Amino acid sequence: MKRRRKREAKTTRKLLYVVERDVRLFFQYKVMVIMRAIWFVSQIAFFGLIASRMVAVEDYFRYYVGGLSIMTLYSAAIFIGFDIYEEAEHGVFEYLLSLPVTRRQLVLGRSIGGGLRAFIYVGPLVCISLYVIGIVNPLNFLLALFSLFLFAFGVSGMSITLAVVIKSSDRFDILMGVLDALIVRLSTAMYPLSFVKEANPLYGWIANFNPVTFAADLFRWGAGIEAALSFENPLLPFLGIVMFFAFFTFLGIILYDKTIEGGGWR
Amino acid sequence: MRHIVHILENDFRNFFRYKWWLVGLISMNLTDLFIMAIVYNRMLNPAIIQQIKSYFNFFAPGLTVTGLFASAFMIGREVNMEKRREVHQYMLSLPMTRFELAFGRVLSGGLRGMVYMSPLLATCFVFVGLPTLEQFLVILVVLFFLAMGISGLSIAIAVSTKSLDKFVTARGLVYYLLFFCSSVFYPFSLIEQLGREGKFPMFLVAFARANPLSNASDLIRSFLLGTPPFSPEMIVSVLIFSAVFTTFAAFAYIKLIERA
Repeated sequence: MKRRRKREAKTTRKLLYVVERDVRLFFQYKVMVIMRAIWFVSQIAFFGLIASRMVAVEDYFRYYVGGLSIMTLYSAAIFIGFDIYEEAEHGVFEYLLSLPVTRRQLVLGRSIGGGLRAFIYVGPLVCISLYVIGIVNPLNFLLALFSLFLFAFGVSGMSITLAVVIKSSDRFDILMGVLDALIVRLSTAMYPLSFVKEANPLYGWIANFNPVTFAADLFRWGAGIEAALSFENPLLPFLGIVMFFAFFTFLGIILYDKTIEGGGWR
Repeated sequence: MRHIVHILENDFRNFFRYKWWLVGLISMNLTDLFIMAIVYNRMLNPAIIQQIKSYFNFFAPGLTVTGLFASAFMIGREVNMEKRREVHQYMLSLPMTRFELAFGRVLSGGLRGMVYMSPLLATCFVFVGLPTLEQFLVILVVLFFLAMGISGLSIAIAVSTKSLDKFVTARGLVYYLLFFCSSVFYPFSLIEQLGREGKFPMFLVAFARANPLSNASDLIRSFLLGTPPFSPEMIVSVLIFSAVFTTFAAFAYIKLIERA
């Protein structure tokens, strides 16, 4: 029994090493981190402030700041895919495979690390958002925060899945850019669902099932911005995020696990 | 002149090496127009509807200018990379004068911006309306000078540092300041109104007014939509920006690559 517990502790420690490495790696991209922060602040100070005068949506400034946090979380979580390409190009993959960690620990650790570092990065930015928009119900906010955590894992899993399926870094770069533009614009990150539906029913239909919509609306619900939410029951978007997380985390793990053997990443 | 053509050829070859990247960028720009602008169209406040009529039509010229800006700025990244990898020594050894080399780089950056921008401008004409022949020529000339100024600005930033990180950070700051503090995304009257209410610093309001991106977007709008009304200031502002940065970049390029 004692030996089993010791083995489990060892396994967890190894998993944590992989997670720690990915978190450290992310903060080496100082420029990217600074740039995203500048982008975030200028979006609030310029676009959010001016656009709120342009539109006829009640409390649009707070609404937009809430969505902005989710856009930033999404773009930080997606970054793990670029790391996988960097490692493949610089021969770090072979080094990773030679480490005394099992394949499963490596893959699971990467997925957790990808989501966690995005979450750590977005933490201070979320604090800025909360300073701007405030919190009404702390319990709701904690639940929303938990769902954002799952969302970050899901996005990180999606990035890993696409990175191992598409073997050209150029194609991956383009696809992520286009996907980013589509997934954010066809969601409620920037505008309420009723306007998206009104603009084009197809856009509205896509936005209805978009995980960014679920995350943005749950965050707003948690922060108490309930004026233009797309749902009445927060359980529905929460379930949507759980499904998104489960699908991409496990798909990413399975594909990454299969691809890393025998030089399959090349 | 022949030497400048060689520089142009070299830079255009580099530009088209990233053709899929360019396709990706154009599709992202079009996503902004055909999704974001269409949704914002439905959200406009009635006072703004009276002023700009349709956000889609208002935004299409702004998008053309942002596309031009992003692509003309790309030359800076290449110049910075050449400086880091010390390719500039090879460039200096080429049988051409320093001025031809420097002017060729600024010119190619501007022309690449024009090439990238043309499908966006065509989309703008198809959906918003056609200008007269004279207006079309004025738009092309102004956008060309704007592209030259942007290319000069990016080269000036690129040669002033060897570090890619510093270049990328400086580029980001310039991007965000010029994009968001302009009338590309929203009418200038809103920025002015915030300034009057004390919610926006007056120096930023003045900056937004003088911003060449604001003036170029408003020039296209004035021809295609009739609002804001055309003013020669729009052309003068872009020409001054272009003259300052083209000249500055050419001299900075010559001085700094010789010193390196």
